[in-house]
This record gives sequence, C-alpha cells and structure tokens, in this order.
Amino acid sequence: MAKFDLHNLLKEELGNNSKDLVTRPSGQAIRERIEHDIEQEPDASVIALDFSRIGVIDYSCADEVVAKLVSRLLSGEYGDKYLLLTGLNENQKENIEVALERKDLAVMAELRQGTRVILGSLNNYLKDTLELIVKKKRVTSKDLADARKLEANTSGTRLLNLHKKRLVRRVEEVRADGKLWVYETL
Amino acid sequence: MTQITEETFEQILKSFIRSEQIDLSGVSFIDPYGMLALLEIGELCLLEDVRKTIVLPRSEEVCRYLERMDFFTHARRSFSLLESSSAAIAGRSQRSSDSDVLLEITAIERSNDIHYIVGKVRDRAEAILVKHLRYDEHAVNGFIVALSEVCQNIIEHSENKGFVGIQKYRYPKLNRNIVKIAVMDVGVGFKKSLSNRFPIKSDLDAIDKALLHGASRHEDEGRGHGLAAVRRFVTQWQGKISIRSGTARLSIIPQWSRGREQERGLTQFPGSQINIILPEV
Repeated sequence: MAKFDLHNLLKEELGNNSKDLVTRPSGQAIRERIEHDIEQEPDASVIALDFSRIGVIDYSCADEVVAKLVSRLLSGEYGDKYLLLTGLNENQKENIEVALERKDLAVMAELRQGTRVILGSLNNYLKDTLELIVKKKRVTSKDLADARKLEANTSGTRLLNLHKKRLVRRVEEVRADGKLWVYETL
Repeated sequence: MTQITEETFEQILKSFIRSEQIDLSGVSFIDPYGMLALLEIGELCLLEDVRKTIVLPRSEEVCRYLERMDFFTHARRSFSLLESSSAAIAGRSQRSSDSDVLLEITAIERSNDIHYIVGKVRDRAEAILVKHLRYDEHAVNGFIVALSEVCQNIIEHSENKGFVGIQKYRYPKLNRNIVKIAVMDVGVGFKKSLSNRFPIKSDLDAIDKALLHGASRHEDEGRGHGLAAVRRFVTQWQGKISIRSGTARLSIIPQWSRGREQERGLTQFPGSQINIILPEV
C-alpha cells in the first residue's frame, strides 16, 4: 500500500503552513499532485490518502480532491489502482460523504480508531457484500453465495460490481480444481 | 444615526451613498456588518473614482473597537478619515489576548486568504467558540468549514474582492453570548452570477436558489453546495443567516430572533452582504 500523507502534500504544494484542506483551488493543486504521484505507482496498488494530520476538509475541497479522484479512478484514468482514505475524523468523514453522495460515488475509508467504513452512495446489496468482504478479508463467489444464500451468478455479479467500483481488489488464484477470482479488502 | 448594523443598513445606504462626508460622530455602536458596509460603500466609490471623508465617532470606545477590528487599515484605502475627537485614533488600543474579536476585518481576494482566515479562527476558537459559545470540537470544525464556504462564495462568484469580520457579543435579550459573522463584497451579485444557467426572476429568486437549492453558475454537480452547507450549519446551531443582494434580502430566522424572511424593493447595492449570528448552545 502506498501511503500519501496529505499534510505533507499540503505543505509542499501550498507552502503556507496550513493544515486544513479548504478552498477549491487548493483542492485542485493537491489533486493534481496526487494524480502525478499515482502515476509512479505500479498497477494494482492501493493508494492510501492519509488524513490523520489534516484539520478540516471543506465541501469544495472534498469535491475537488476526493470526489474527482474517485470519479477519474472509475473512468480508468489512473489505470489499475485502488483508493483508500485513512485517518479520518468524524467531521472529515461527514464532509467527504456529502461530496461523494452528490455524485453517486463511493470509496473505502478507515477511521482514526481503525474501523473500516464505506463512504458515499452504494446500494444495499453491494454494501452487504462489501461488509462480508471486510469481515472475512478474502471472499470468492462461492463463499458469498454460501454466506448469503445466493445464486452463483448473482454473487459473481455483485463481486464484479464492487471491483468495478474499485472498492475491492480482485486477484486470480490457482487451486487444485482450477483458477478462480478472489476478492480482497483494500 | 447612533448604531451602524444590519438593522440600520438601509438608512446608511440612503444617507451615505450620496453625501460626500459620512458623519459617524454620533455613533455609539457598530458591529462587523456595519463596518463592512462602510468599507464596501468606500470600495464602490473607489470604482467610481470618488473618495469620501469619514468623520470618526466621538466615542473613544467605538474608535478603540474600530482599531481593534483593523477597520482603519482598510478604510484608509478608500476614505479620508477625519477625527472628531483628538483622542480618537491617537488612543490606540493594545490587542489583548482576551479580546472578543474572533477575526479582525480581513480582505478576501485569493484562496490563500481563506487559509489565513481559517488558521486565525482556529487559533482563537478555544477562547471564543469553546469558552463563550460552548462549542465542542465537532461544532468548531463545522464552524470553520462554514466560514470557509461563505468566504469562498466571494472568490467563486463575486468576481471582486470582499471582506469578512467576526466578533463575539453578549446578547442581553437572550442572556447568552453570540458570535456575529459578516461577509461582504461589491461584486456581480447572485442574480447576475446565476442568470447564465437559470431563468432568474429577481434578486430574491437568485438568493433563494443559491441558499436553499444549491444553485451554482457552474454546471459541475459538485458545485454550488457551499452556501447550502452554511445554511445547514447555521440552522443546526439555531443561528440566523441573512443574505442581501441587489434589492432583496432573504433571511432564515430562528425562534429567538425577529425579522422578515423576505424583503424586496430595497435600495440597489451591488454584490452580496451576508450576516450570520450564532448563539451560545
């Protein structure tokens, strides 16, 4: 996992000793820096944006940094990468959630006390599936089908949809009975 | 006129906008909204290449307060200042750490100004917002975000510079402390800003769309929610917000306050004038 300390990026990009992610122009500068740095990371990397040394993030900045990054991640602009927000406090979580919901987007986040949560918009079926993956860490289509009493193609579709939303990693595994996809928490 | 506040703004405009000299000698009370109103009248006159004179209050107390709020620093740019009492500006006050000023009058022109404002308010939050409004950390952070959004409104939409000032008061009617935030500019105003995207009937319609419906002049759906977020914060903490633009004012009034929610046909004044009052919880 590649950890991007947002406080360091803020210092380097703005040079004004601010610890707050406020204003759209500041958000744009930070996002462009993140986009540049993401390109240096290998495929299948999980990019962790660390908020633990950030004060507040306002709605404009949450839209400019998080919502736009997620939107572009989903459209494939950054290649095969994943995004995780870490070290979030309650205020940051709320404001980012508002920005994501407006654009019908979702992202995985780890709160300061270590709890993994989903932020933004996600339908209940996918939320439930994601909760199972977070709990078990690794899940196959058969695992999900057994746990939730689903048809095999339904469980496969749900897992694939979560992967398309870049909320879980997908790795190919070779077992005695052949190859299969395993879906892992970020 | 003895008070320069939002309540007397319409009178101020009518009497001051045409006169060469703005006589404040009898003023006994002025709040951040009143100070910003004077500065914006000055900015407007500057645009028309007119430099008015302000006759300063006789009250030393009022002059000391104006000094503490950095009013003179900004006023000197657009006004000639005339002291009505020799002691007035000479008796400059020392800023004390227990001042009720949360933010001196600060110009907003660039994104970096908002970082400065946010940093300053955070430094003083413990002394004012925590001690006098009894805000917890969550509310302080909400306050800072709301302040950032309301200030960004100037940079994003006014196409001009603006000012912000914040002060804590004791509100006798409530027997509670309050914080007053004033934010103003003499830019294009809500109606012109939104009219490229929406059919806007009036100034009131434009304010309504921006404050209550998150309308933005930008098409991106992530835009235009700043003021709506400010309204949510103010409502959550039983505060009052009013926005005046052009010839109209729209207010959200809590139970503890009085006033009209919608006002039309006011004296034309460009840009936007925002007043927020947050009471102790």
